[in-house]
Amino acid sequence: MSRFVKDVIPVGHIYIRDNVLEKDTLTGVSESKALWAKDLDLPKRAEYTFFAACGYQHMKYVEAMMGALKKAGKIGMGMGKVVGISKVFSKLGLDITSITAKITASEDDPYTPVLTSAISLLRKLGVDVGYLHEEEPCCGSPIYYAGFMDDYAEHAGKNYEIFQSFGVRKVIGLVPACTAALKNVYPGYINGYDLEVQHLIEVVAQKLKETGIKPQCKERVKVVYHDPCQLSRYLELTDEPRELLKSIEGVELADLDPEQCGKWSTCCGGGGLEATHPELAERIGVRRAEELLETGASVIVSNCPACEMQLAKVTKKLDPNVKVIDLVRLLDEAVE
Amino acid sequence: MSSSGLEELEKEITDNVQRCWKCRMCVAMCPTYEGWFTQSTAGRLMAINLYIKHGLGSEEELSTMLYACTTCRRCQERCRMLSTDCRPADTILKARQYLVKRAELREGKEP
Repeated sequence: MSRFVKDVIPVGHIYIRDNVLEKDTLTGVSESKALWAKDLDLPKRAEYTFFAACGYQHMKYVEAMMGALKKAGKIGMGMGKVVGISKVFSKLGLDITSITAKITASEDDPYTPVLTSAISLLRKLGVDVGYLHEEEPCCGSPIYYAGFMDDYAEHAGKNYEIFQSFGVRKVIGLVPACTAALKNVYPGYINGYDLEVQHLIEVVAQKLKETGIKPQCKERVKVVYHDPCQLSRYLELTDEPRELLKSIEGVELADLDPEQCGKWSTCCGGGGLEATHPELAERIGVRRAEELLETGASVIVSNCPACEMQLAKVTKKLDPNVKVIDLVRLLDEAVE
Repeated sequence: MSSSGLEELEKEITDNVQRCWKCRMCVAMCPTYEGWFTQSTAGRLMAINLYIKHGLGSEEELSTMLYACTTCRRCQERCRMLSTDCRPADTILKARQYLVKRAELREGKEP
């Protein structure tokens, strides 16, 4: 990458772009994405293909990556002082890899259990689900939002070929951004794109209605739901998660100001912004967390790895008793 | 600079901004707005429009503004409600593509 691109495009985005294009993951960590699925015996071909995406699979590394970059003080725009930063980045990449390679999927990591919960939930509801394991590509949406249009188009085309080679027809997505990319963005870049993409929440809502299963929560909790932007405004799924939460016996859903939830939900500042403007991202996160905590709820439920990472980080400082849980984990525990 | 889609991007961006009613509802919607106009949707759109049409500002300044957008689309939802068809969030994304494209084109000219 020449100096011209680096002068104008934030180095954080260039770093992520290189990871996606060269290593096919968000973080550039070479460890297998599919570790979480090794005991689940998931076939590669099935009626539905589960798209786990980098988000949940690599979130623990993203946390480490952002932390390390922030500590090094090299994150941010880097305008006018780009000399040598690429070296720092590649060095950091190596460091992070060696640090994180020692971490394996465990209960301390709140993100990979969401994936196992999703599979167990789908199986309980009788969905025939498969997973591409190592072959699962990164959807590339970070490079789309960073503006690397040509790289993205090429990447999307390659991914579609991978999906075709495994005979994928129906996809169940979990990370909102990746699901929105597969559903709404890919058709604009690929001729004859024919994958049927649904978000897990849609599938679960439909199956619960069909089977008549009543989810039950063991203890009474007051929760507040945070709509991820990509789910509420890109995929336009605002009613389903609320209906699902209300259908769980023992769960009380706190009301937010109508101008702060549903399709008007305030952004939590997680995701891409953290790669370029970490301080701004944190201030946005605090503002959103304050809105959510005003309702008096003790649990924040959301449905996006970036939102959860951001909200968990800021609520730790605001009120350490508040927990951030993924909707899928809550549902998996509530469905017998 | 011709071909390679740069002119199409320029036209798309300026056309979209042209449709804006200047109601500034998007400013109140923007999560990154902290008092400075260029921290908001409308400010970003005006900046890229002035840059394309009149060459005001620099790419570095534009980059700082445009990459501070969270792409949460809250502005676009409000804009859609008012049926202005300006698509502010998509336009900011187009503006990022424009910056990348320009940088890549210059890079191509590097020996």
